[in-house]
Amino acid sequence: MIPLLAVLRSAWRKPRGRAGAVLLLVVILAALVGPWFLPDPLAQPDILQGSLPPGPGHPFGTDQLNRDVLARVVAGARVSLSVAFLAVMLSATLGAAVGLLAGYWGGTVDSALMRLVDGALAIPRLFILLLVLAAWERVPLAALIFLIGATGWFATSRLVRAEVLRLREEGYVHAAEALGARRVHVILRHLLPNAAGPLLVAATLAIGDVILLEAGLSFLGLGVQPPAPSWGGMVLDSKEVLVSAPWVSIFPGLAIVITVLSANLFGEALRDAVDPRSA
Amino acid sequence: MTRWTPRTPLAALVALFSLVTGVTGQSKHENSIVILTGQQPTAPIPTLMEGQAASAGNLELADQLFLRLAGLGPTLLTAGDRGFVPLLARSWTRRDSLTLVFDLDPRARWQDGVPVTARDVVFTFERARNPAIAPRLVALLRHITSVTAEGERRVVFRYSRAYPEQLYDATFHAAPLPAHLLDSMPPEGVARSSFVSQPVGSGPYRLVRNVPGQFVELGANERFFLGKPSITRVILRIASDPDARLNLLLSGQADAMDNVVPPLDNMRRIQADPTLRLVPVPSNTVGFLLFNQKDPGNPSQPHPILSDIRVRRAITLGLDRQLLVRAVFGPYAEVPYGPVSPILWIRHGAPTAERQNLGEARRLLAQAGWSDSDGDGVLDRNGVSLRLGLVLPTTSAIRRQMALLVQEQLRQLGIDIDVQRLEFPVWIERRSGGKFDVDLAATVQDPSPSGLSQGWTCSGGSNAAKYCNPRVDSLIERAVLGLGKPDPRQAWTDVLRQIEADAPAVFLYAPSYVYAVKRRFRNVTISPASPWQLLREWSVAN
Amino acid sequence: MVGRELSGWLLRRGLQAAAAFAIALTILFFLMRAAPGDPLSRISEGRPLSPAEVATLRARYGLDQPVTQQFVSFVGGLLRGDLGVSIEYGRPVTALLAERLPATVLLGGSVLLLNFTVGLWLGVRQAVRRGRREDRWLTTASLIGYAMPSFWLGLVLAWLVGIQLRLLPAAGMQDPLLSLEASFVERSIDVLRHLVLPALTLSVVSIAATMRYQRTAMLEVLQLPFITTARAKGLPDTVVTWRHAWRNALFPVITLFGLWLPILVTGSVFVESVFAWPGLGSLAAAAVWGRDYPLLMGASLLVAALVVAAGFLTDVAYAMLDPRVRLA
Repeated sequence: MIPLLAVLRSAWRKPRGRAGAVLLLVVILAALVGPWFLPDPLAQPDILQGSLPPGPGHPFGTDQLNRDVLARVVAGARVSLSVAFLAVMLSATLGAAVGLLAGYWGGTVDSALMRLVDGALAIPRLFILLLVLAAWERVPLAALIFLIGATGWFATSRLVRAEVLRLREEGYVHAAEALGARRVHVILRHLLPNAAGPLLVAATLAIGDVILLEAGLSFLGLGVQPPAPSWGGMVLDSKEVLVSAPWVSIFPGLAIVITVLSANLFGEALRDAVDPRSA
Repeated sequence: MTRWTPRTPLAALVALFSLVTGVTGQSKHENSIVILTGQQPTAPIPTLMEGQAASAGNLELADQLFLRLAGLGPTLLTAGDRGFVPLLARSWTRRDSLTLVFDLDPRARWQDGVPVTARDVVFTFERARNPAIAPRLVALLRHITSVTAEGERRVVFRYSRAYPEQLYDATFHAAPLPAHLLDSMPPEGVARSSFVSQPVGSGPYRLVRNVPGQFVELGANERFFLGKPSITRVILRIASDPDARLNLLLSGQADAMDNVVPPLDNMRRIQADPTLRLVPVPSNTVGFLLFNQKDPGNPSQPHPILSDIRVRRAITLGLDRQLLVRAVFGPYAEVPYGPVSPILWIRHGAPTAERQNLGEARRLLAQAGWSDSDGDGVLDRNGVSLRLGLVLPTTSAIRRQMALLVQEQLRQLGIDIDVQRLEFPVWIERRSGGKFDVDLAATVQDPSPSGLSQGWTCSGGSNAAKYCNPRVDSLIERAVLGLGKPDPRQAWTDVLRQIEADAPAVFLYAPSYVYAVKRRFRNVTISPASPWQLLREWSVAN
Repeated sequence: MVGRELSGWLLRRGLQAAAAFAIALTILFFLMRAAPGDPLSRISEGRPLSPAEVATLRARYGLDQPVTQQFVSFVGGLLRGDLGVSIEYGRPVTALLAERLPATVLLGGSVLLLNFTVGLWLGVRQAVRRGRREDRWLTTASLIGYAMPSFWLGLVLAWLVGIQLRLLPAAGMQDPLLSLEASFVERSIDVLRHLVLPALTLSVVSIAATMRYQRTAMLEVLQLPFITTARAKGLPDTVVTWRHAWRNALFPVITLFGLWLPILVTGSVFVESVFAWPGLGSLAAAAVWGRDYPLLMGASLLVAALVVAAGFLTDVAYAMLDPRVRLA
């Protein structure tokens, strides 16, 4: 078993992991404290001015309603990051639960769950979400988080199941059961901690995917609803001034790239720490 | 042995890429034009443009393929006979107040060479007045009692009553169809026949090909009796997204674009392009905030907040509409008086719109019992906040921008507006189901003011807000029939005054549509009723 | 390779694939039916319907039957190749999908081609130069590529290359002014010019993944003893790399095909709408905006079928190349 703290420490020692962690922390910090120092992301100080190019006062320029783009990018970070973290937590939990259940019980439970996962994996996640979200007039944020989380556990459950099967083969479970441990105890004390490493790696890498997914949905108008600023929604709104005010599109897009990149850098470093072969 | 590595295809790929990007000098097509448009035409045939097919895509294309008896001239005056120019009909006269006689131009030919005769006109109006085929036209042509031929070239229209727009009704709604090709078909069979994909008309252009989702190609009608068009090849390129249309225009993939939508930054961007110019044309659109008179939760009850005229008036006076219009449209729109788009002739002589008056707005709200008792910046009354939902379709860039501006201005008055951008079909559903507080609506109007009865009379077909004032109903009826006042404009001004006094809506903007056209085209005339209608008169500069 | 063993394995794997598709179909159907809102309101364009009209419409669309019955008739229709009629276009869904498929195949095919050339080549280079500056640079580049939202990259490229530089068309699939008499070569070049930007956008994301996989697979092979032997024999580096190592490092990458497909399809929804490419992706996006459920359902089903088929085919290809797989 690899203690989580050691994994994190080992990831931190790699330059790539450190770079990812620092970048991600900067984004999180900006999302937390940035809004105190920046103008109201909804305020339209001078609507006759429209979109102003980046310059003093507005480092990222203003959008077509004269709203400060930097303030909106920072406010969007709050939305995008909280959607990503909450949805990933939900899908990791679901994935772990299903994987443990299938791997530990085996038999019919296992094959039924895995067939379901096979079927679900055949439909790209975006299409499942499109089908459900298209039915909504305006998607509440909580529902969006729930749906993204609820459609993200399929691959994770397979991963956890494989880990459980490996542990079973190693005789780990038998030993514990022979000592008279209860099932719940075996699952929580023996299997879960062992599966925690791969789970953490999968969850960290999933953050980037979810940010991209949420941005894509918002770009299609099905994700975070305005006036709440989200990066994908900002790119959607900026499309109409792409030719006259490209900065309105470019900065939220860069924010997506940087955040996803940092999550992935850190996630890869974690994976190398858990499974050194892939380095 | 040849050494194959993935380098080989890579090199080929790089070579191909440079070749492909190198071929930029698109061959110049002398007498052609690529026009960007938003809607795919499906059945551009008069009498078939019903229901969903009554789309701008069909109507605009039909105007190229089929010629009307007479055209609406530049004054757009639909009342009386002076505003019209001859097309298929060379002249018209009145026998009495109920009989209108058209004499067809003997040079007029169908695209297959057969002359256009009175029989074609009679045939077309038989179809147009058949409720099973064309319910929309039947309603529009309800005052016409008969259409008969007198010989080959003379058509007689008879009406049930005398009214100012007789000529308009006979010419605007249904362009003649070729009877010799269609009268052997059962009326309902035309829609499924090959005539829809290969129409034969009398207009300046004929259909060459239709590539669904991409473009429609037209060719000049060599036999056109009013003169062969100078531009011989017309491509109507379809891109439903206005941003995509703008990109195609600015990347040089098109020559003209319909309706460049705000934000203004885009108009400035086009102006900065030396090969393009902007052509503003009065639009047939009027945008307004429509107040639901009924409770969205229970349509049998009045709206809990908006049924109070003081609140509606306060919102009207609380908005700086002149500023809103300038911010969204720049010089290309004005604030209307009543539901009147720039295309309607009745706007001449109407009063000007009221200006913002925050003091009066606050006084009215206080009088109606609204005050900010809990200090949260939003007015309230008996524990209920003054919060209103504003629905709009997310497809309209103008309305998206307008909604956010309105929200901000009303926030300063203590009114909380919840902007609800809805997908178009959902918006339609909410609007027609009466499930809204305020609707940011934009209606498209015919050139005739008689269309106002649709939205603003008690039984009007598109009266989504259930606004009902019998006095307005009777004023409209009198204006349509030309009763009372000698000048029809005055009768219509009385209608508008009454509507403004009732404040069923805040009339926000009456825009010009701004078209972008390459400078190399000469004699560019864009008609407000159908933008590309006079394309046959355009030419290309050398 | 024992024939009976292989056919038994094929049958099992085929049944598994069929089961996955059946489950995907069931999931999609019930998701759609569970959606809030009345499908009829969309059909009636929001016009209030009389009770008689409601009854007729419900009967016509089979909505008056119990859900299980509806499911049975839906599956029956599917077997006959009938996926219903699109609300937006008023035409059979299958016809619309068939009409849009070629454009998507062209786009997806070019992206795969780029993956198999540029992606594999870069991945191999990285493995050969493991840890050196080039490897690090390419790793960073691929991670950045993987972090790009395709819709944003598409917009930026359309703006930069199409509008600012005017090197390539910013949208569409063909130049409508190219006359009907234009030669095949002229027309191909025209389509190719339109293809470059969407294919590039879509490739950036998928090539990043290909590079990473190829690099890992190649590294494993390069550590094997026979490579050392080959080098010891004094064979030139390129020969060892490509003829010995790469051939063996190719199969794990083949399995990627099953993985690429969902990425490509998802990406094409965004990229095709940004570039007005007349394929399945832009059709699906339009179906979302128009709340056109039958069309959206048809597109999702087609995608699911493609994903299952791709997974099956890669497994088969892999099994043919490497018999050990069947034992697993």
